[in-house]
Amino acid sequence: MRFLDPAVLAAISGLDLVAQTVVEGFIAGLHRSADFGFSQEFAEYRAYVPGDDLRHVDWNAFARTERLYLKRWRGETSSVLTVLLDASNSMSFASHAVRKADYARFLAASLCYLAIRKQRDAAGLVVFDDEVRDYIRPSTRQGQLFRVLAALEQAEPRARTRLEAPLKHVEAFVRRRGIIVVLSDFYEPPAAVVRAIEPLRHRGSEVVLFHVLDREELQLEIGGSSVLVDLESGARFPVTQEYAARDYRERITAHCKELEERAGAAGLGYRLLQTSQPLDAALREYLAVRQGRD
Amino acid sequence: MGFLAPAFLLGILGVGLPLYLHLLRRQSGNQRFFSSLMFLEPREESAVRRRRLRYWLLLALRCAVLIVAALAFAEPYIERPGAAVPPDRLLVLAIDDSFSMRAGGRLAEAKREALDLLAARRSRDRAQVIALSSAVSALTPATRDAAELRAAVESIAPGDSRGSFAALASAMRSLAASERTPIELHLFSDMQRTGMPPSFAEMALPASVQLVLHPVAPTAAPNWAVESVSAPGEVWSRSARVQAVIAGYGTPAAMRTVSFLVGGRVVATRQVSVPTSGRAVVTVDALDVPYGLDRCAVRLDPTDALPADDEYDFTIGRSDPRRGLFVHQASDERSPLYFETALRATDAAAFTLDKIATDRAASVDPAPYAFVVLSDVATLPGPFLDRLSEYVRRGGSVLIALGTTAQQSGRIPILDAKLGAARDYSRQAERFASVGTADPAYPAVGSQGQWDGVKFYYAAGLDAAGVAAKSARVPVRLADGAPLLAEQPFGEGRVVLLASGLDNVTNDLPLHPVFVAFIDRLMRYLAGMEARSSARTVDEFVELRTGREHAAGVQVTDPRGERLLSLGAGTAADRLQLTRAGYYELHLASGRRDVIAVNADRRESDLAPMPAEVLALWRGTASSSAPASGASHAPGTNGAPTGSQTGATEAQAGAGAEGAPLQRSRRDLWWYAMALLLAAVLAESAAGSRYLGTRREAS
Repeated sequence: MRFLDPAVLAAISGLDLVAQTVVEGFIAGLHRSADFGFSQEFAEYRAYVPGDDLRHVDWNAFARTERLYLKRWRGETSSVLTVLLDASNSMSFASHAVRKADYARFLAASLCYLAIRKQRDAAGLVVFDDEVRDYIRPSTRQGQLFRVLAALEQAEPRARTRLEAPLKHVEAFVRRRGIIVVLSDFYEPPAAVVRAIEPLRHRGSEVVLFHVLDREELQLEIGGSSVLVDLESGARFPVTQEYAARDYRERITAHCKELEERAGAAGLGYRLLQTSQPLDAALREYLAVRQGRD
Repeated sequence: MGFLAPAFLLGILGVGLPLYLHLLRRQSGNQRFFSSLMFLEPREESAVRRRRLRYWLLLALRCAVLIVAALAFAEPYIERPGAAVPPDRLLVLAIDDSFSMRAGGRLAEAKREALDLLAARRSRDRAQVIALSSAVSALTPATRDAAELRAAVESIAPGDSRGSFAALASAMRSLAASERTPIELHLFSDMQRTGMPPSFAEMALPASVQLVLHPVAPTAAPNWAVESVSAPGEVWSRSARVQAVIAGYGTPAAMRTVSFLVGGRVVATRQVSVPTSGRAVVTVDALDVPYGLDRCAVRLDPTDALPADDEYDFTIGRSDPRRGLFVHQASDERSPLYFETALRATDAAAFTLDKIATDRAASVDPAPYAFVVLSDVATLPGPFLDRLSEYVRRGGSVLIALGTTAQQSGRIPILDAKLGAARDYSRQAERFASVGTADPAYPAVGSQGQWDGVKFYYAAGLDAAGVAAKSARVPVRLADGAPLLAEQPFGEGRVVLLASGLDNVTNDLPLHPVFVAFIDRLMRYLAGMEARSSARTVDEFVELRTGREHAAGVQVTDPRGERLLSLGAGTAADRLQLTRAGYYELHLASGRRDVIAVNADRRESDLAPMPAEVLALWRGTASSSAPASGASHAPGTNGAPTGSQTGATEAQAGAGAEGAPLQRSRRDLWWYAMALLLAAVLAESAAGSRYLGTRREAS
């Protein structure tokens, strides 16, 4: 569990090493659980679709039938993971060593590593702020993990958050059913968030919202009077200690609760992640969703 | 309540700064970056209101700091009556002993008034006696010793210097800077108008000095004077031409008798009509002077209010002309002609010239000659060249004119330096070269403008001849930079090189007026005959030695016959200020004996006093609380101050119950203001730390 601590991960330089550390540590803690299947037991044949790794084509079957089939194993059932990473400026906030953006990138890298290296799933990445900044098409090809990790390395926070516009573009990208993981701090009204993400669910994909927040954002503590400066808009608001202790906490708690309720109502998974918490909760959530799809 | 330095009150305007910071400038607060302000509202009115209330206290303290600081620097004070004992003061008695105070017993009158003032002085008052002329001399320190003060006043003797009220004001400014008590300056003077500086501001006195004037000669007395005498300092013939200017100051038209004295004996007398307050010139064309240094004078009869300026002393030195040796080529008849003509063209020919051709120079000894000129010679007989080199090495001087013949030899005699390529300007487009730069500091050169129009067709190659070395001096260069005149030290003597001839062939210099002046000055320089002045003015300085005459003994005897320099000072003194009129005898470091005639500055002869309004203005600058007694001493009144009137502050406040005058005591509030400032600063620091400390902690 020590290797899942974000503060420890922050000291590791490469995202590939972070992902490997997280996933291997996570798997080591599963104790041969058969539920999530990492065996090599044959499951089925599946018709080849463009983008599949040719190494998995059963050439014997092709010789017999002149049709391309992929040999699938239990635990390697076809699934497509698409990670939507919010890289807006609000994600650069940190009250301790790990920024929200770093936490989200660790998590995205770990999910992709788990999917590509362990589950043989196709994995892709969409980096967005107020528009789609980067897009790595889901694939299982060799080198896909490094492409995803390279894109994550470059996903430094900037600009503002606007979910609606970029997710409209993402709808065009996501054509195959799969698992869509949205990593964001969701600083928009819950109704708008759900309204923007819900169309992805309609295409048959499982959507999980990982709400990444810093502990300081949930329990704002200031001494005396302060002027808070918005990281995205630069707006300044003088805030008193009394307001932060009472009104703000009520509002952020209500916001999270409403977002969870609306996400549940729309069939979207929701999990609130604090940047001080280990990453295993998110990985478990992902595997649970994946198992549900299988 | 008043302020000693009210200008510092302008610092109160600085309160605008905290006002701006507190009220106009937006409160920045403790800034923190945050993810989103989505759940925040600027609802902190109550907190802001509370903070402003606190900040008003801080603002008030900061304003108080600035105001109290400005007050402290302005040095506030309060005056309140009641103290019967007047404060201490320093009486400064300035007695004018300038030359004009010799007129009509003015100095005696000034000393008498000063003694009266000292007699009426309160015993607790300190006093100081100073003598005023061109400079201020403190005769006593600030003391209460009446005997010392009276002795100092009585010791003052009439001087010959010029009075300067600017010097008095300057001394008072220095004294006021170091003196804490008020100063009462009593000036006993004839208030001569010529003693004023060009700018009245130089007479301004500091505020702590109260000026009380004691004019001893409120009206101008008519005075005739020998204003100046124009006479040669040195002659080489039997007679000299002497011209004297007789001036009248506030005088009617009158006939005066002017006598010319040589050695105390009247040798000529003239009658002159001097117009009303005007000048007349008297000339003696041939004043017979015997050999040696003659003490001469011009005397005016009959005497008047200031007899001391009716005689003007001067000296004339008569000697035989010095001999010079002119060596030329046998074929050259032109250069000796031009050179000798130039030497004789001056009013008083100081030299006689022995001309000799090079082929007859073998047996000539240059030692008796004041200078030697080698005019464009190619070769010299060996024995003569050896003697000439030794002559220069021992301190003699030689002028070598390098024409075309000398250039052919390729070397410079005596120096044995090689000549470079000659410059033949006649073959160039311009056909000639002009003088480019001339150093007027060199004794023989004169101003550069005098050389305009002189054409040089040929110049020897001095630039490659070693004269450009560091030890050489090149005072004149041609327009193309080629050296024309250069001086090279050789042993104890000097060799002056002229890169052209004296024969009107290689140049047309002998045809220009500058040639006469150039040859005269150059030969005097080579012969070591500096221009001698016939008379000097009191307070001038005289040089006692040149740079080469270190450690040589000098002795000076003043007009009273007293030796001015001790043995130690005589070996070290470089110059001496002439402080008395009369004849100074000097035994200079060079071994030469000289007599200098010194006369008082004739601006002292104008006895007109300063206008009354100027005097009133001067008193006004001394102190805003000018004493009433000052007015009673104004010019035009004969009222001399009595003992009971001497205290300016007494007269201001009136007499007290016991005869002691009532005073307004001044109490400085500076220390109170500083204490208040310290308290305000501490309070501001405490308030600021308390209110702003939370913000720092939060950051």
